[in-house]
Amino acid sequence: MAFGLACVNATARAQDSPPASPVSKACQPGSAALSTESSLPNVAAALATRKTLRILAFGAAPGRINARGGYIDLIEAMLERALKGTDVTIVNRGVSGELAADAASRMKNEVALERPDLVLWQVGTNDALDQVPSDEFAVTIKNQVDWLKAHKVDVVLVGLQFAKGVQRDPHYIDVRETLRRVAAQENVLVIRFFEAMQIVSRVEAHGGPSIEPDEVEQSDAGYNCLAQYVARAITLGVFAKNLPKRPQPARP
Amino acid sequence: MTRQPNAVDFWRGFALITIFIDHIPGLIYSRYTLVNFSISDAADLFVFLAGWSIRLMAQGGDRPMTTGNLMLRLSARALELYAAQVLITMLAIAMLATSAIELSNPLLLEWHNAAAVFNDPVPTHIGLAVLTHQLGYFDILPLYVVLMLMAPLFVLIDRAAPNWLLPLSLVFYVCVLAFRLTLPTWPVSGTWFFNPLAWQVLMVLGFVMAKDKAGVGALVRRHIVPIRWIALPIVILGVLIVRFDWWPDPTVMPDPKLFFIADKTYVTPIRLLQFLAVIAVFSLAFRYIRRAADLTVIGPVVNGIIVLFAMLGRNSLYVFCVGSLLSLAAQIMRYYLRGTVGIDSAVVILGILIMAFTAWLAESRQRNAPARAAAPPGVP
Repeated sequence: MAFGLACVNATARAQDSPPASPVSKACQPGSAALSTESSLPNVAAALATRKTLRILAFGAAPGRINARGGYIDLIEAMLERALKGTDVTIVNRGVSGELAADAASRMKNEVALERPDLVLWQVGTNDALDQVPSDEFAVTIKNQVDWLKAHKVDVVLVGLQFAKGVQRDPHYIDVRETLRRVAAQENVLVIRFFEAMQIVSRVEAHGGPSIEPDEVEQSDAGYNCLAQYVARAITLGVFAKNLPKRPQPARP
Repeated sequence: MTRQPNAVDFWRGFALITIFIDHIPGLIYSRYTLVNFSISDAADLFVFLAGWSIRLMAQGGDRPMTTGNLMLRLSARALELYAAQVLITMLAIAMLATSAIELSNPLLLEWHNAAAVFNDPVPTHIGLAVLTHQLGYFDILPLYVVLMLMAPLFVLIDRAAPNWLLPLSLVFYVCVLAFRLTLPTWPVSGTWFFNPLAWQVLMVLGFVMAKDKAGVGALVRRHIVPIRWIALPIVILGVLIVRFDWWPDPTVMPDPKLFFIADKTYVTPIRLLQFLAVIAVFSLAFRYIRRAADLTVIGPVVNGIIVLFAMLGRNSLYVFCVGSLLSLAAQIMRYYLRGTVGIDSAVVILGILIMAFTAWLAESRQRNAPARAAAPPGVP
């Protein structure tokens, strides 16, 4: 199996690595907070063998964020642009307000039904707002990631949402850090959405490019950036071994 | 005059309180509700009892309601449920908006699928009106609306060919599972959390089981003792599966997988079977609970619980609506004040008191008009 995987990775590397999905100027500062250390072997295998990519999305569903559609539609379009010739399908099974533990048990059924190559899991915000203890949250994430790995499904975690009002909320910080820690221990990709948006927000405050004028609209535009980060992380994850390591940002 | 406490109202009241607690994720007491010991939960009970209540309504008091009147009544009820859904959804959106402003936290605008309402209001308001956009935890009433729109068809089939209703419902259910038929959400792409095309089978089961003189209902009553003995190990196994996470791996199940996995959206056979087993075993319970009300020591407490649950159950729509809003208010409050045992206890006690007050208020009109005939248990 290891040999097979090595072959797949070799095949993927042997191909001309397509350029990673681009990130717009306004969203670029935040991309410093993204980790791309982990590869996505099952996605790479899917691309190499059948030129299709099936993604199962769990988590928040912010609706349409621009004329081209919602966050999910944007990611799909960006991936299809970046991974030329690949048929990308994203099945959205997000139930808003759902805690990680509830999503985890539902996700197993959905993985069985949808047979995805990758699970895109936006997780943590509800657990933080609903005061779920961070140790319970950690166990849920760890067990679920292990289960996905055992079933040959890659996972990209999308971290907590950003709002200035929760920057100093101790539980929110705790859950954020827990997610980051578990993702690092499990060696899975995590889009640190909060940190990315925090950086974007700081840059804006110092006269940098602005994504949107007020905080509510910023959330909308934040999802636009998030779609770009996710698409970029997936494309980088597929060809991770070819790419230089990105410097880790200082913890906010 | 309000009707005396009965098993249907009592269990519906139980389901209402359970749903209220279950809809406050993270609440300490939500670890002790039915869903923590059973594959099925209060939602299954509520839909089953809705079917049961339609039977009681169709049978009427002294003589059956005419088909025309019944159609009218069910359609009016569907409209009432729809109005209730629109109202509580708008109030929930307002609550989230107010909290986001007062707590300076725009994240609250994104809670429970509300993000699309604020980010993309034009199509989302259409979605809200046609029920294709549902807030998280505000998704049971849309299921009810669709089921209630289907109910006249159930009644018509039952009156024309009573033995055909359940088989037809089951055939449709099997097709839904085999082909994964469901209703889409819009503008946010996805599917309904409660798939009415599958859940109809539970309402039909409640409807046919409530018929005590003939058909499946009579058959079950005739053989209830052996059925309970068969059901008991299923109930125990359900508890063990849930408590010890003995779920089989859904990925190794044969196709079509929905026949072999436990899924809430499609109320799959495993869930359905376990729910029917719970009903068979606990159909005895109300009799014993009522007897316990005569005991010296615990009697008054048990009697109080019976009166409270039955009152909630008699006014289920009002209580459900208020309970849904209270659950959301409790979530916001827990976020602001942090969830502790004290806060969580206060949330539950206050919530149940407000739900009880709502039921009391709804019945006050009946109390002030004693000449009104006591109606049979209405459709929740």
